[in-house]
Amino acid sequence: MAVQTFLFASLIIFSSIESNHGATEVSLFTNLENLLEVTAKPTRVGVVWEAGKDIVRITWMLKSSAKVNDDAAFKTVEVKLCYAPISQVDRPWRKTHNELSRDRSCPHKIVSKPYDKIPQSLNWTIDRETPTGTYFIRAYGTDVNGYEVAYGQSSDAEKTTNLFSVEGISGRHTSLDIASICFSVFSFGSLLVFLVKEKRKAKLQQRK
Amino acid sequence: MAPNHSNENGSIGSSLHGVTAREQIFCFSVEDGPSSQAIRSDDPTAKFALPVDSEHRAKVFKPLSFAKPHMRAFHLGWISFFTCFISTFAAAPLVPVIRDNLDLTKTDIGNAGVASVSGAIFSRLAMGAVCDLLGARYGTAFSLMLSAPAVFSMSFVADAGSYLAVRFMIGFCLATFVSCQYWTSVMFTGKIIGLVNGCAGGWGDMGGGVTQLLMPMVFHVIKLTGATPFTAWRFAFFIPGFLQIIMGILVLTLGQDLPDGNLSTLQKSGQVSKDKFSKVFWFAVKNYRTWILFVLYGFSMGVELTINNVISGYFYDRFNLTLHTAGIVAASFGMANFFARPFGGYASDVAARLFGMRGRLWTLWILQTVGALFCIWLGRASSLPIAILAMMLFSVGTQAACGALFGVAPFVSRRSLGLISGLTGAGGNFGSGVTQLLFFSSSRFSTAEGLSLMGVMAVVCTIPVAFIHFPQWGSMFLRPSQHEERSKEEHYYGGEWTEEEKSLGLHEGSIKFAENSRSERGRKAVLADIPTPETGSPAHV
Repeated sequence: MAVQTFLFASLIIFSSIESNHGATEVSLFTNLENLLEVTAKPTRVGVVWEAGKDIVRITWMLKSSAKVNDDAAFKTVEVKLCYAPISQVDRPWRKTHNELSRDRSCPHKIVSKPYDKIPQSLNWTIDRETPTGTYFIRAYGTDVNGYEVAYGQSSDAEKTTNLFSVEGISGRHTSLDIASICFSVFSFGSLLVFLVKEKRKAKLQQRK
Repeated sequence: MAPNHSNENGSIGSSLHGVTAREQIFCFSVEDGPSSQAIRSDDPTAKFALPVDSEHRAKVFKPLSFAKPHMRAFHLGWISFFTCFISTFAAAPLVPVIRDNLDLTKTDIGNAGVASVSGAIFSRLAMGAVCDLLGARYGTAFSLMLSAPAVFSMSFVADAGSYLAVRFMIGFCLATFVSCQYWTSVMFTGKIIGLVNGCAGGWGDMGGGVTQLLMPMVFHVIKLTGATPFTAWRFAFFIPGFLQIIMGILVLTLGQDLPDGNLSTLQKSGQVSKDKFSKVFWFAVKNYRTWILFVLYGFSMGVELTINNVISGYFYDRFNLTLHTAGIVAASFGMANFFARPFGGYASDVAARLFGMRGRLWTLWILQTVGALFCIWLGRASSLPIAILAMMLFSVGTQAACGALFGVAPFVSRRSLGLISGLTGAGGNFGSGVTQLLFFSSSRFSTAEGLSLMGVMAVVCTIPVAFIHFPQWGSMFLRPSQHEERSKEEHYYGGEWTEEEKSLGLHEGSIKFAENSRSERGRKAVLADIPTPETGSPAHV
């Protein structure tokens, strides 16, 4: 048994050894410059938006304050849906991390488009699988190798303004509820049936 | 000589005889005859597929057979227990999806985890009574079929509160541990009950591992049919629900309470003089060793139950694995039970052969401490292969400790054996509740820190095993008592009965047990030349 454990362990180890190819560039958020102007405007104002239904108009462009060749490195723009701090409280799986590869605060990808000098926009229907929470939009400008070089977001630096709330779908269905009730009743019922049957059998045996 | 009442079906503690897996057989076993308390069938020439003893309990264990009634009872019992483990921990591998659907915080998830193991603290204690009154079949079937609706009701859950409530109600079904062990105890004879119960317990515990594989797989398949993740996970719970109903029906139709038939259709013979529950309870509670075992099991089985709840999410979050892969890794933890728990029991037996009870205690301490040390390592491992290695070693250590603990438990008391086993079992659930509450229910510690801290706490809480001292056998650091009286097993086990009870001969079973337990002296047992008194009680009291 100890041998089995050892073999299993070594199998895991050898099959998981990763070799490091090339230089590992660690992208840090603090190294990025805020060069993009991102806005997110709802089509319905004043209500909590529903996942799968409501549409948000997202626009992004280079900031007017940016210098001439700042956008030289941009190849694509990745627009992502990010959690606002309030949706990160007591939820370590949504933690913000300076190292972008370990950052978990922007897990939902909205769109990835090639960079264009003219302002771009998109009417985005909030994804049906978006969980309930408070969000803002962030756009990363990435270079040829896919590394982030700049960013922009619809909220301020502290992520307190221009936040919007999304109500996720419940995932409940009437048909599921009915099936659940049916099987529960069946479970109770069959137990009762057996109890009654066996009691009757016992009574008959006693009478004999 | 008065018959051995405490062995009768229905007497206090009999519901959990054999739970500890190290029941002694008696030198003077209960013979066929009018004084026998065995429940007799109308057909004395009943033919059994396996060789049986005078009580029609099987003398042989054939795991690949489904012969009625013994092996069938074994398989129905351990598979029912296995199914309940699947249901209780079915939520764990799906938590990454559930937490988004219900907008759960870490506190919510942790509290639900605590709730999932808390219900069983009470249901395990109650199940003993149910088995005594209604038989193991109904005990198992009640557990399965009354908690199946709770499993199905995951489809209604909409927030943290209802999620917690449903997990709490599902957790009640872990009482099948008791009914499963009770069932095997009435079906298999004392000599082999150790192996049978070790297998039933270990294989049932595997359910906690299998569920980590099964649920992500079912979830994935349901998603392929077009369901959104938030619907798919709810539907996935129907599978454990179905399994419970199917097993419940199989238990009721194919199972049999006793070797000779079902409880309600057989006639009881003879007078049943039941032991007083208050006495049994008092002697269990008064014995400090009970509480040390309660704590110890809380940090072997308790840690195991906690890991079943948190490990999948841990690998998913920390190492960025997919739900599926995290499930596979988490499953390996639970699957190790297949051999680890029986191994622990076996190691305890070998140690006892050489060093007696002191060997058992050292084995228990070593296995549990080593397991806990690997748990500390698991929390600190930052690369996936090291984490997996640490987890596997941790799983073997902790699960073997569970098996080793039940090598010690039967010797703590003879009169209150059943209750002590039940209390120990409840201690496992209690320990799991405590560790989840302390380390995995708030954002104070990351899950990795929580694992390491839990390991530290387990090391500390394993130290009390050094305080378990038997006057007749010693303890980890102390020799057995040299006192003429206290160094005898009879004195220890006889001490659980009052003079009045002894004069009525009610303590005979304990004296027989004491005689058989001389093997716990290790190699010195052969040298012991203590004569067994005729009446079983010491000459002077």
